[in-house]
Amino acid sequence: MLKFIITRLVSLIPVVFMITLILFTVLKMMPGDQAAMMINPGLRAADRELAYQDAVRRLGLDQPLTTQYFRWIYNSARRDFGWSSSHNRPVREAVREPFRNTILLNFFVIIFQLSITIPIGILCAVRRGSIIDKFFQTASLITFSMPSFFVGLSLIFLIAINLRLLPAGGMPIRIGTTPIEFYISWARHMVLPATTLVIIGLAGTIRYVRNAMLEALGQDYIRTARAKGLSEKVVIYSHAFRNALIPISTIMIWTIFSLFSGAAITETIFAWNGIGKVLVDALNNRDFMLVITLNLFFSGLSLMANFISDITYGFIDPRIKIN
Amino acid sequence: METKKDIRSRKPGDSDLKKAGKSFGSLIKGLFIPNRNSGRTVLEEEALQTPAQTIMKNFFRNRLGVLGLIMFVLILAFSFVGSQLRPLDLAFMDTSLRNIRPGTNFLNFPSQLAREGVKQISSGVSFSVALSEKGNLFVWGTEPNFNLPGVLEPVLRVPSEVRNANIVQVAAGDRHILALDSMGRLYGWGQNDHRQAQIPVEVTGLLRGGLQVVRLVGGELYSAVLLSDGTLHVWGATLPTRMETVPAYAQGRIVDLAHNALNMLLILDDGSVMPMGVRGNEFSTQIPEALQHWSLIDEEAGEPTEERELKVVQAAATNRTVLALDNQGNLHLWGSAQYGINRMPGEVLAGGKVKQIAGGRNNLMVLFEDGRVVYWGANHFGQADSARVLEGRNVTRIFSNFYQHFAITENGNILPWGFRGFAVGSDQFGRDNLTRLIHGGRITLTVGAIAVVISTIIALFVGMTSGFFGGFVDNIMMRLTEVVQSIPFLPLAITLSVVIGGRLTESQRIFMIMVILGILGWTGLARLIRAQILLEREKDFVLAARALGVKKANIIIRHIMPNILNLVLVSITLGYAGSLLTESGLSFLGFGVAPPTPSWGNMLTGSQTSAVIRFLWWRWIIPGGAVVFAALSINLVGDALRDAMDPKANEK
Repeated sequence: MLKFIITRLVSLIPVVFMITLILFTVLKMMPGDQAAMMINPGLRAADRELAYQDAVRRLGLDQPLTTQYFRWIYNSARRDFGWSSSHNRPVREAVREPFRNTILLNFFVIIFQLSITIPIGILCAVRRGSIIDKFFQTASLITFSMPSFFVGLSLIFLIAINLRLLPAGGMPIRIGTTPIEFYISWARHMVLPATTLVIIGLAGTIRYVRNAMLEALGQDYIRTARAKGLSEKVVIYSHAFRNALIPISTIMIWTIFSLFSGAAITETIFAWNGIGKVLVDALNNRDFMLVITLNLFFSGLSLMANFISDITYGFIDPRIKIN
Repeated sequence: METKKDIRSRKPGDSDLKKAGKSFGSLIKGLFIPNRNSGRTVLEEEALQTPAQTIMKNFFRNRLGVLGLIMFVLILAFSFVGSQLRPLDLAFMDTSLRNIRPGTNFLNFPSQLAREGVKQISSGVSFSVALSEKGNLFVWGTEPNFNLPGVLEPVLRVPSEVRNANIVQVAAGDRHILALDSMGRLYGWGQNDHRQAQIPVEVTGLLRGGLQVVRLVGGELYSAVLLSDGTLHVWGATLPTRMETVPAYAQGRIVDLAHNALNMLLILDDGSVMPMGVRGNEFSTQIPEALQHWSLIDEEAGEPTEERELKVVQAAATNRTVLALDNQGNLHLWGSAQYGINRMPGEVLAGGKVKQIAGGRNNLMVLFEDGRVVYWGANHFGQADSARVLEGRNVTRIFSNFYQHFAITENGNILPWGFRGFAVGSDQFGRDNLTRLIHGGRITLTVGAIAVVISTIIALFVGMTSGFFGGFVDNIMMRLTEVVQSIPFLPLAITLSVVIGGRLTESQRIFMIMVILGILGWTGLARLIRAQILLEREKDFVLAARALGVKKANIIIRHIMPNILNLVLVSITLGYAGSLLTESGLSFLGFGVAPPTPSWGNMLTGSQTSAVIRFLWWRWIIPGGAVVFAALSINLVGDALRDAMDPKANEK
């Protein structure tokens, strides 16, 4: 197992190199002068020139590109991601709170999504061809065809505006509230974006779980189990579902990680101050260090997801051994 | 040996298989019910149709799939045929038509009005108000306002005190109405956010003091009243246009006026004209010398040096031009050259005695004594239909505001022409939602399709080379796939769109979106193809082909490719739906197709405010619904295709 992990880690090195190279190229292609954005526009012409030279030196823009690249990698590894021009503080501090908000949102989304989709997926697979199956197949096709902004706007229209049950968007305010009020308000603000994300993610996961279960139910050992006279419950839950867990675990891990980068539209609609919204705002404000850092972060997350799902495969499925 | 062709040409009746598969019951049934294939056995059926036929048959047996196909054909026809039938003028924009709800009844006047005889018709952006000879008030059209008491009140809901009053004059502003009763009382209702529908106290006071109203003026966001002492009083949103400041030397000498959103042309008692409102535009700077008030005034004396020969008797203003008629029957035209309004058509120059002149939003018309109407100017909404509508009619009066025109013939008929309304409403710039939906669909569907083609080509290339050659090539290709797959799609797509998009023209930008979606979206399919090829490669038919000495490239293209084509086809369909959604998401965020070019996504940009979501539902439900409709139809087709191609589906 250890050897498998190490081989996998080694094979990641060229991938990481390529990704950072691509992101560095994108960074260098970005329009605008980073150094010029840092200096105070109120300075006199002569001072401005001096300040500009100083900014260039401090950002290392006078160095050759290879030096700049390695310096960027080195600094990023030290968790120094540069200066966010739109937040006017280090990138690391600028993303701290949005990061927390996104994690909180995604935590609930994942819990709801998995607790809804896995039972439904199993049900559809077990009762394949029944009305329930057909209903969920069609329903999931419809939600699969809905863009997140449409789901979000519809929810705002129905629940926030017409029924006036929940706030249409934004973040709760801490000032002037007791902690309990604050947490209730927090939860109320989170319901609609979380629902949107759950609805968007529902269709794909239901179908995936259903297919995995169908695959497992079609295997010979299921026939054997039935032939032995085991009850249907045991067949489904301890024979079929156990085996379907391998592909399901992959989708679970991918859902968790892809929610970070995929929530940009939903967060923007609901003005939820998460990293997806921070990315959109940073792009609109041409805050490139922030943009690149977030891209780097998302790439790291998805590499990690890939890696973890490979390892879990090894753990869950005894057949997948060191290869 | 029997070839495939032999089997197909053989009649079913000859087959011995048939006899084996036929029961007594089906024989009886066959006598009464014609059935295409019940008489054939599985083996026979397989021999009779190619795999493609089987797939087709399976597909058309799936009702949802057929429904999806019909939906998709409809949406294709809507976008591609529609965009030929309904051209889009990208430059057209008229913010006074902003946010008008769906409705095509702008010209549907009540029949009772025609029976009672028309005294006056005045139109706002989407409605008209009329006064009959009997003194009854009529309103029709589409409501442009919402119900926010005190600020925005429905303009089509006439207040009860107006219904009970004896109204003698009406005037429609853009979204409000003014009315005057025989007692000299003024009423206003409709949009009131700049107090344009609320009569100022000083005007009420002047009217109480015995002055008469000569003319009511409903402007865009402002109102005005011309009193019998020759003074003009303006109220409403007058700050940006400086409309409130009536020139002191004109006040008390005004006899009539022509107006548009930004300016007024005052006709003074000596027959000269004087502009007011926004300074420095064509309206006020290009007034012919002979008509100007100051042309004959002696500066020191302040009195006219001689009697004026040319006296303006009528004036009509469009958005940016003015037409004036003088006492000798000459027409004077000045202003912007937009839509060719500043060139008088030959028919007008040819002469004839002018009875009335009128101006709409972007067009002018002249009514001659002999009942002819000559129209010129823009034709966005069929305003130039006048020739057809008024052919051979003897017109006595014309009423023209905004884009609606009404002509009254000598026997009292009302002939309307011009703008009927927005079938699915208008957006925040007054552009027709339906036209933008049609053209947006064309763009969105094309961008999605080309993106999928690009990504499929890359996926086929990468997947096939990597799957077949294996080893080093495979390793490189798979690392490349992993790299592209690891960078999350949406963040990189919007980042690239900003980085590259800033330097591009609009059409290049659309192309860029296709390429970005294409080069970021191929990884899943490439992996699928590779895995499938690894499976197929080990099969006997490849071994056989190899043993026969078929070249490697030929094995891939002629032997393996047909076997993965099903997979590719399904993936293309489902990928197409996905790229439609992605494109609209990008455009929605403002990183996709850039306005003014419409796309279903960017039609929703700016619809996130709760006011839009609540009141202007057509601005987000309709384009959003179009995306859902298109993506759903494609997904239905893709799903049905996948089922049809599933070998298990043919099991009996």
